[in-house]
Amino acid sequence: MKPELKPAGDSALLISFGETIDEEINERVHAIARAIEKAGFEWLVETVPAYSSLLVIYDPLKVTYAQVEASIKPLLNAEGSAFEGRLVKIPVVYGGKYGPDIEFVAKHNGLTVDDVIEIHSRPVYRVYFLGFLPGFAYLGGMDERIATPRLEKPRLKVPAGSVGIAGKQTGIYPLESPGGWRLIGRTPLRLFNPAKEPPTLLQPGDRVKFVPIDESGFRELYGKQ
Amino acid sequence: MIELLKVPSLLTVQDSGRKGYRKLGVPVSGYMDDYSARIANYLVGNPGDAPLLEFLLTGPTLRFNASAVFAVAGDVDLKLNGLPIEPWESHWAKRGDVLEVGTLRSGLYGYIAFAGGIKCEKLLGSCSTYSRANLGRPLRAGDRLTLGYAILTGREGRYLPGELRPDYSGNEREIRVVLGPNLEHFTEEGIETFLSETYTVTPESDRMGYRLDGPTVGHSPLGADIVTEPLVPGAVQVPANGKPIVMMRDAQTTGGYAKIATVISTDLHLLAQSRPGTRVRFKPVNVGEAQKILRRREKTLEAIKAFLGGEMRAYKVKVSGKEFTAFAGKVKY
Repeated sequence: MKPELKPAGDSALLISFGETIDEEINERVHAIARAIEKAGFEWLVETVPAYSSLLVIYDPLKVTYAQVEASIKPLLNAEGSAFEGRLVKIPVVYGGKYGPDIEFVAKHNGLTVDDVIEIHSRPVYRVYFLGFLPGFAYLGGMDERIATPRLEKPRLKVPAGSVGIAGKQTGIYPLESPGGWRLIGRTPLRLFNPAKEPPTLLQPGDRVKFVPIDESGFRELYGKQ
Repeated sequence: MIELLKVPSLLTVQDSGRKGYRKLGVPVSGYMDDYSARIANYLVGNPGDAPLLEFLLTGPTLRFNASAVFAVAGDVDLKLNGLPIEPWESHWAKRGDVLEVGTLRSGLYGYIAFAGGIKCEKLLGSCSTYSRANLGRPLRAGDRLTLGYAILTGREGRYLPGELRPDYSGNEREIRVVLGPNLEHFTEEGIETFLSETYTVTPESDRMGYRLDGPTVGHSPLGADIVTEPLVPGAVQVPANGKPIVMMRDAQTTGGYAKIATVISTDLHLLAQSRPGTRVRFKPVNVGEAQKILRRREKTLEAIKAFLGGEMRAYKVKVSGKEFTAFAGKVKY
C-alpha cells in the first residue's frame, strides 16, 4: 500500500496510509519513523507516529517541502518489525462519577452498563502510539460493539486517569485536560511522571488489560505508577 | 538573583520549546509570541531561545538582588524604582532595584528577558513551563530566579525603533494559512466559508488552543472525526459544531478532529496576541510562499539581532509616504 504525502503547514509533512486502524499498517508507520530518524537528515526536527500516519517535522529554514518529500520517498518501503511489548494490567473503576458517559455508551449501542464493562475489559489491547497528551496511549483492539462517537463539543476538564471511548478507539487520559472522549471509568495509576525514565508508564507495542476494581481498590492504588 | 514580589497573572518561564518528545505525547510549549520573545532576548544580548519570563496581560513586580541587565517586550508601562522606563529597550538594574511591569495596552503576552537568561532545570530538554504535565509550574510571589552568567558591560541602552515593534493593536487581523491536510472532510462551501467569513477569538482560549466563533464550517459526508493523526501548533481543527479551534504552543501532539488548515509559522504569534473578541480572517497561501515568508522574517530578525548587537546600522527610509527601517553596513571593530 502506497502512502499519501501532504503538507501540514509550512514545517511538517504528513505521511498518511488513509484513515484506518490496522496493526500491520501501524508497524509500517513505526518502521518508516525509525528509518527517517536513522537517516540523519540535518533538517529533521522529530517524527510523530499515529495509527496510520506519521508526521515528519522539519526545519523550513534548512530545507524546502519538495526536498523533504524527495528525501523521504526512498524510505517509505521500510520493513516493519514486531514490537516485543510487556503486558501491563490497568485497574479501572467503571461508571458512576468515574465514568459519567458509560450509560450513554450502553444506550447508544443497545447494551447494559455491565455489558459495556465486560466487553471493554475482556480484550488484550495493543499500544499503537502515544499522543494527544504526555503518556496518552492509543490502544488497538476495542470491540466495535461499544464504539461511540466523540462529544460534539469537547469538555473543558477531564480528570487524570479517565478511561474513554472515541469512535472505535479507547484510551486513558494521563493528566487533567480538555477532551472530547466519552468517559466510562477511571484508573488510579499514574501514566506520566517526568522524573522517571522513561517518563511514560506505557510504551508503543505494550499490551494492556483493563481490570475492573471497586472504589476502595481505587483509593489503595491512587497515584502509583 | 531576582525575587518576585507580585504576580498578578499567569507568569511562566519559556524558551523556544521542547523538541524530540512529541512521540511520547509531550507538547512543544515555548513562548506564545516567538517574535517578541526573541527580540526581548536580543535586546539583552542573549541568543533568541534563552529562557525568559512570559506574562499574560499584566506583568509582575520584581526585585533585583544583584545587578542585572533586562528588557521588556510589550506595549506596557514600566517603572524602575517608581520612575517610568521604556519597553523595547535594555536597562541596567542594581541590587535592590524594583521593577513594576504594568498591563499591556494591546496584545496578550509580554516578555521580560535578562542578560544571561534565567537559570532553570531543564525537564525533557527544555525550560518551558507545561504545568499540566508537571513540567515546571506557573511562578508565584516569593519565587526566586537565578540568572545565568553574563558579562554586564555594554548591554544597556539597546533600543528597538518603533516601526520594528510588532503592532498588536486593533481588533481585526488577517492570518495566513496553508490549507489541509484533511480537506476531504469539508464541503467546498465549508472551505469557502472558512476563507471568506470573519471569526472571533472566544474567552475559551489558552496556551493550548484558541477557540473561534463564527459561521459554521460545513463538513463533508466524511464528518468531523478522523482517525487520530499527529498535528502541529497552528493546526485548525473543526469539531462537529463547525467552530474552528486553532492549536497553540501547548497543543496536544495528535488529534481526532479534521483539520481544515494550518496557520503559517510567521503568523501564529499574531493570533497568540489576539484578545478575546478580536476578529480574524484567514487567507490561504501555499507551502512555498509560507516558507519564503518565514525565510524573509528570519532575515529581518537576524538583522534586528545584528543591529541590537551594534553590528549593523539602521536607516529610516520613506517609500511612498510610509516609513521603513533599512539595515546596512556591518560595523567592523
